Amino acid sequence: MSTWGMIKTVFFTGLTVVFFFIIWIKNPFAPHHEYELPEEAEKIVFDPKAAEEGRELFKQNCASCHSLRYDGIYLMSVTAKPEWEKIEKTQGKPIIEEKDGKIHIRGYFVPRDVYEAVAISDLLGLKASFGKIPPDLSTYYLARGPGYLYQFIMDPQKILPGTTMPKLFFPEFDKEAPEKVAKIVAYMRSVNEPPPGEKAKRTLMGVATIGYFILMGALLWIYRKKIVSQMH
Amino acid sequence: MIKRIVDWIDERAHIRDIYREQMVEYKVPKNLTFPYVFGVLALTTFAIQIISGIILIMYYKPLIAHAFDSTNYTIMKEISFGWLFRNIHAAGANFFLAIVYLHMFTGIYYNAYKKPRELVWIVGWVIFFVLLMTALSGYLLPWGQLSYWGMIVTTEIPMSLGDAPILKGLLGAIGETVSIWMKGGYKLEDLALGRFFGLHVLFLPLTLLLLIGIHLFLVRAAGISNPDGYEIDKKNEPEKVVPFHPYMTLKEGAYTMWYLALFFFFVFFHMSHFLPADNFEPADPLKTPPHIAPEWYLLGFYEIFRSIPSKFWGFVAFNLSLVFLLILPFLDFSPLKSARRRPLFFIMFVVLVISAIALTILGTMAPTPTNAKLGMFFTFTTFLFFLSLPVISFIEWGWYKAKGGQS
Repeated sequence: MSTWGMIKTVFFTGLTVVFFFIIWIKNPFAPHHEYELPEEAEKIVFDPKAAEEGRELFKQNCASCHSLRYDGIYLMSVTAKPEWEKIEKTQGKPIIEEKDGKIHIRGYFVPRDVYEAVAISDLLGLKASFGKIPPDLSTYYLARGPGYLYQFIMDPQKILPGTTMPKLFFPEFDKEAPEKVAKIVAYMRSVNEPPPGEKAKRTLMGVATIGYFILMGALLWIYRKKIVSQMH
Repeated sequence: MIKRIVDWIDERAHIRDIYREQMVEYKVPKNLTFPYVFGVLALTTFAIQIISGIILIMYYKPLIAHAFDSTNYTIMKEISFGWLFRNIHAAGANFFLAIVYLHMFTGIYYNAYKKPRELVWIVGWVIFFVLLMTALSGYLLPWGQLSYWGMIVTTEIPMSLGDAPILKGLLGAIGETVSIWMKGGYKLEDLALGRFFGLHVLFLPLTLLLLIGIHLFLVRAAGISNPDGYEIDKKNEPEKVVPFHPYMTLKEGAYTMWYLALFFFFVFFHMSHFLPADNFEPADPLKTPPHIAPEWYLLGFYEIFRSIPSKFWGFVAFNLSLVFLLILPFLDFSPLKSARRRPLFFIMFVVLVISAIALTILGTMAPTPTNAKLGMFFTFTTFLFFLSLPVISFIEWGWYKAKGGQS
């Protein structure tokens, strides 16, 4: 290749790589906010054991206004209804969990329309008090990220001024408040991210797939070299 | 035994003859460069999209009460490997557009749209357009906030006709009718979701399949272009061509494998851009998200639309940029081919590439007045590329004539 050809190749390849890096991996130009997650909280959020405690804390502190349907948690006032148990079992799908080699039902996933039909007066009641229906939090870990959730639950007004979400945890009165909030976030993470064993499997699968294609490409390349040299 | 069965079939279907004729006796230029692989990669990605799409369609429910949950619960959490197929389909959509753009820029660089390949380019343009429609309709299906508001913005684009300097009433009425027709009513609801679902899974992919078939046929009919810009006489210059198989198939096969390795790197380890965070919030018609921008592959056109102060002229400009792409073979009527031999064209090509990149990146930025001015500037340079082509062609006709009609 001539020098000029080399320059052109480097130029266009470089431009393409830089472009896709900015667009797909890290865009320094796009407006974005970073929400910091304190170090102690980070340890708890990424600890799978904290998620179980977080689930109980979520039920105690959040479930009076928020549902988390993907893990079978619904508004307290709805689950208190006498017909709810039947609705759950007939309309919902069991959420199955394997624990110590035993299969057990963690809750039921009830379709949104069925749930909203049953819960409509409770949801409208919440809307009357808060101005809007508090959202279902099933996917909010993915939508907001751990930093935002932690900061927001600790002090909703600071992160989203004017929100009707009340402040529920007061570190000045309860020393364990930051820890509890981190556990709730850990729980929300556990609903949206695969458990550690599954995650390791996926990583292994990814590495094997990528390795396979790199190897196949190399073999094809070598095979071609061999054939071409035989032909001349 | 197997050999006898194969022979029996071949005697009737003549597959070996077709294979020999189409693969081995089909000669392609020896000097094809790396960018020629993008066509094959686009075809590979199309196959990936079809396969992963078939898996996803089994579990997806096109009703607004179920769309979000069927994607994020059923597919992501309930079905074994559902997450993998969703990741593949989402990353595949982005890779498909990326490869198609690279394929188009390669075509522009080597002037592969010129005689006798005008039809290849035009059909390719239609593929590009249908692909954008497919991407847009598919983006609505997860029914997240971005899906919903992205589609609202898209269906409101025809409304900008109401901003026209003349015939305001008439054009406005046309724009509104088109907008309502796209949404299936004043609100974006089940009707629209059902329509876009039908288009996305059946009509548009079938159209794409047909168009890709025509595109490939035309490529074979006109012959593959050449980076040096000369038409090779295959009979009289046998030293300049090689058999398609095994020279090209193995080379492009190896590139395809490495491309798939890169693709699966994103699928397994870097999905955060292809499944954006904001779209994990279910669509809420009462809550407009702070930043609504289309996906990256539309940002260039979006920036042209956005940076021009008048909505009507923005609408005209972005349509014009699409039309200019379509009529490229007729804007550029120079007898010379390939940027390798056309210094003026090469300079303008670099201008086009840089403008397209700048417009796309500006599209991701906040709409400040400075950015709007920059957007206008790069819109201007984009159009400068297209409008300079007839001038360059005119100059090059002069050179061509001066050399006595030899290129």
